[in-house]
Amino acid sequence: MNHQTRVYNDVFEMLPDEENPSPMVRINRMNPVPEFQLFAKLEWLNPFGSVKDRAAWDMLQAMERQGELGNGRGLVEPTSGNTGISLAAMAKARGYHMRAVVPNKVPLEKKVLLKIAGAELDVVNDALCPAPGLGDGSINIAKSHAKAQPKKYAMPNQYENEQNVLAHVRTTGPEIWRQTEGRVTHLFVSLGTCGTVSGTSKFLKGKNPDVKVIAVQPTEGHDVPGLRNVSQLGVSKLFDSSLVDDILEVDFRLAYARALELCQSEGLLAGPSSGLIYEGAREIILRDKKGLGVMIFPDNIFKYTSNMMKHIPALAAGNEA
Amino acid sequence: MANYTHPEMLVSTDWVRDNLGKPGIKLVEIDVDTKAYDAGHIPGAVGFNWQTQLQDQVRRDIIDRETFEKLVGGAGISPGDTVVVYGDNNNWFAAYGLWLFKIYGHKDVRLMNGGRVKWLNEKDKSLTTEIPKVTPVAYKAAGVHLELRAMLPEVMDISKTGKANLVDVRSPDEFSGKVIAPPGMTETAQRGGHIPGAKSVPWSTAVAADGTFKSADELQSIYLQQKGVDPKKATVAYCRIGERSSHTWFVLKYLLGIDNVKNYDGSWTEYGNVVAAPIEKG
Repeated sequence: MNHQTRVYNDVFEMLPDEENPSPMVRINRMNPVPEFQLFAKLEWLNPFGSVKDRAAWDMLQAMERQGELGNGRGLVEPTSGNTGISLAAMAKARGYHMRAVVPNKVPLEKKVLLKIAGAELDVVNDALCPAPGLGDGSINIAKSHAKAQPKKYAMPNQYENEQNVLAHVRTTGPEIWRQTEGRVTHLFVSLGTCGTVSGTSKFLKGKNPDVKVIAVQPTEGHDVPGLRNVSQLGVSKLFDSSLVDDILEVDFRLAYARALELCQSEGLLAGPSSGLIYEGAREIILRDKKGLGVMIFPDNIFKYTSNMMKHIPALAAGNEA
Repeated sequence: MANYTHPEMLVSTDWVRDNLGKPGIKLVEIDVDTKAYDAGHIPGAVGFNWQTQLQDQVRRDIIDRETFEKLVGGAGISPGDTVVVYGDNNNWFAAYGLWLFKIYGHKDVRLMNGGRVKWLNEKDKSLTTEIPKVTPVAYKAAGVHLELRAMLPEVMDISKTGKANLVDVRSPDEFSGKVIAPPGMTETAQRGGHIPGAKSVPWSTAVAADGTFKSADELQSIYLQQKGVDPKKATVAYCRIGERSSHTWFVLKYLLGIDNVKNYDGSWTEYGNVVAAPIEKG
């Protein structure tokens, strides 16, 4: 492995850590207050395409250490896509099978990508009335597979697995601290399993308790995969409110509009969750005026062309001869 | 489970574990998500599919007596058996199944409190993918109790006269007409809103955080004191297609012991499509 020449013995050596951080790129044309330095951390440049590489890798390694995988035993995991894609590709490269339980509303691109990555797909209809204490349909179906066939399936369970938090204490936090030379004042993240926010915040606040951590969430009824509204956070056992200073709610349609703007004004091919985080950061920058902010951009736009066409009609027009 | 009027209608997950495989006790899983049974079920449980096995496949209706007898007998269930029904989504369709068992006069049918998810999350409970081997029996239904079912003309009459309680168990947004159905549902209606005179008591107000039913005192306070359901009158519960209202029907009839409770399974997908039927919004 040589990060200098970027020559590796296998794909796993490319996974990010302090010595091999994902890039941070400064926002220029879309920064409303130039005195506030704003950076985007481009997680789609991780080898399996998203921030979820970090949690997936640490969860998988912990399971291997504990002897939970192999001898016909593979993985089952509820996922809205990115964790599943990372886990499936990693699992396959190490010789394990993987079953992904996916809510129906996940975009088609992600479902097909999961299959390309080698996952067996279980699509469940999650869009029912929220019911107290029940959790998501996809979580319960994955749990059922693991419980009914324990010799065939082990379940990492990203919603409860502390490795999902520790991965960011180990990698994302130290990377940002080093990349900003300890000058970071604001961290902007979205909320899903809450592993990213909890782990990165824990590390950065340990270094400097004054670092402000701002979580941006979509309005209720949203269709931004992987994200949760506060009312849906019940299933995210990794959420720790003491590690978050502000929770901003942003109209979910802006996630798509801002993603398009990031592509066309900054040359950053950012996905809708990045668009949502940018919008939250913009509001805070206008409020705080000074600082150095880092936005964690979870993945790029390639998996979301169908959602983008739904929300930005111009993209759907003129595509046929 | 004390204090309920009919505590014998409910069994706990521990009771089911302790009685697994005993003769005369039959488990039936009925889920909203028809894939859940295949992913894993309680050992020995048979699975009924609400879409293909509990509905008439030609007209919109519950299955008729003969089809019910074939289904239940085919699952190896005899009229004298204790049937325990459970399922996902807080027993929505399990309660619907129980309602069908009662319509066709099965004497001893009970609901597993907390449903599938409670069992799933308890460490001492197992699941299997093995389909049980059953010996079909000739099942003869003891009777047909259509007094448990409300049809449209009766509902229209109640709405006009107020002679019975009408309980709308859908979400507040469905009741107000803000949405016609929860997102992603294929069965829907032409109009949103609720039946004039109906009280909004979402089904979920009857369950605690762990998915089990609230205590009799709490249920009494919610339905009778807070929402004004008059226990001296007949009561009709409805939702969108009759599954969530089966859950409330069970609560009112067996846990609170209200005498005359009916499930209007036509529910909003029937009423909200009727030309010129009066509708209230908000």
